[in-house]
Amino acid sequence: MKVAAVTAPAATQLAAEGIAKSYPGVQALAPISFTVSPGERVALAGPSGSGKTTLLYLLAGLLQPDSGRLCIEGQDLTAMRPGKELARLVGMVHQQFDLVGSLPVVHNVLAGRLGQWSLASSAMSLIWPRERRLAQEALERLGIADKLNQRTSKLSGGEQQRVAIARLMVQSPRIILADEPVSSLDPALAEEMMRLLVELVEDSGKTLIASLHSPYLIKKYCSRVIGLRRGQVQFDLPAAELTEAVLDRLYDLKAERI
Amino acid sequence: MKLLESRGLLTLALAGAFLWSLTGVDWGSPLIHTGGGAAARTFFLALFPPDLSPDFLGVALAATWPTLAYAVAGMTVAVLIGIPLGILASGTVVSSPALRLPAALVSRFSLGGLRAIHELVWAVLFVAAFGLSPLAAVLALGLPYGGILGRIYAELLHDVPPEPLRALRTAGASPMRQFLYGRVPLALPDMISYTFYRFECAIRSAAIMSFVGIQGLGYQIQLSLHDLLFRQVWTLLLFMLLLVVLVDQWSSLVRRKLAA
Repeated sequence: MKVAAVTAPAATQLAAEGIAKSYPGVQALAPISFTVSPGERVALAGPSGSGKTTLLYLLAGLLQPDSGRLCIEGQDLTAMRPGKELARLVGMVHQQFDLVGSLPVVHNVLAGRLGQWSLASSAMSLIWPRERRLAQEALERLGIADKLNQRTSKLSGGEQQRVAIARLMVQSPRIILADEPVSSLDPALAEEMMRLLVELVEDSGKTLIASLHSPYLIKKYCSRVIGLRRGQVQFDLPAAELTEAVLDRLYDLKAERI
Repeated sequence: MKLLESRGLLTLALAGAFLWSLTGVDWGSPLIHTGGGAAARTFFLALFPPDLSPDFLGVALAATWPTLAYAVAGMTVAVLIGIPLGILASGTVVSSPALRLPAALVSRFSLGGLRAIHELVWAVLFVAAFGLSPLAAVLALGLPYGGILGRIYAELLHDVPPEPLRALRTAGASPMRQFLYGRVPLALPDMISYTFYRFECAIRSAAIMSFVGIQGLGYQIQLSLHDLLFRQVWTLLLFMLLLVVLVDQWSSLVRRKLAA
């Protein structure tokens, strides 16, 4: 795939120009603009209903913006073919991992290749898995190679989380989106999830955009934090400059403490 | 709120219809006619013991065979009808929006037509067309059951949880690939267990085909009933029960395998 020529060190990988989205009766995302450079690890913070998920879904191509433009590596997202092209640029890890429990692990991992395989190959692979080695290697790196042929629903939460990451490794998109990747996990698994995501991102020079609430995780694993509130960008800071006061204001915690 | 109100009204109307229907029953005359009690007693006492003579067991076994065969062949036809029409009717694989609705409407309409007609009515039609041949029994079973299976398959394929499909979509899977990797594996266990349930029903229906003269357990039951040989009737009913229990065991075996 052709990569847009990198002219400046901080070339723009993703550009959102005045993107907006509303649902009947709700303005989920006011027109907002921002850019992300390759290799950045961006945390999206903000209370429920602030537009984080809407923004991530727009970036993933799951939703179309009502107005504005979204460009990834110079290509307009809306003009892109959803399967093949988009899947190479953007991948997503979901809140509950959202794997297909009744399928063996190998197919859940190889699902990361569905954008590149022909329909016939995809169907055949359910019987004779193609590129099995790819799945095997990904699982080996994550330390669960022995689960390759197990039924996915039999795996523990932590193992399923690794299967979801293995799918992303096999898909290998340039930008990884994570929708509340740790909200349903205990602290140890949450930390593990962030470590694996950041490892994956750093190993291959990818970009991460994740909705996160914990200032600890944001500071430890991200380079930048964007605070969203009522569909608008309230702040956009280097993660190191994030303070409790800034977050409290974002989540309106002061008001509740009185 | 509006929905709740109309729901309440509907419940009230249905309850009213039920109560009103009670006035249609003639409560004055006894529900069981005179001598009915005695007949019922004779019938039930014949269970102890049923006719287990080797000769009659042979007859029962010979009658079980076509019933099972018609049920199996009929279900095969039903599955072959149900899968393609069910997939089309689920509206999940036709990606062109212009074609999706027509495809779903046509397939739903055909499924509806198939199951609107009872298998016995189909049987009368097919016996008239093909004579008392196995083909008549198999088609009479297969068509309405295909309509029922297709409709349930469509619902099961349509109503899978959306989250795994969304995750597949962000991995680059087209609707057709989401169907193969998401909808089918998610719906398959329920589809299989419903098919087995219908298989049980098909065995009962295959037996009933005797009412239009097709061979099988039902036919023998009819003969024995005419001769008032209740002990034979019980033997045949036990064979029937045995078939259904066997299918049930097979079904739970398959389901356990699927869950493992």
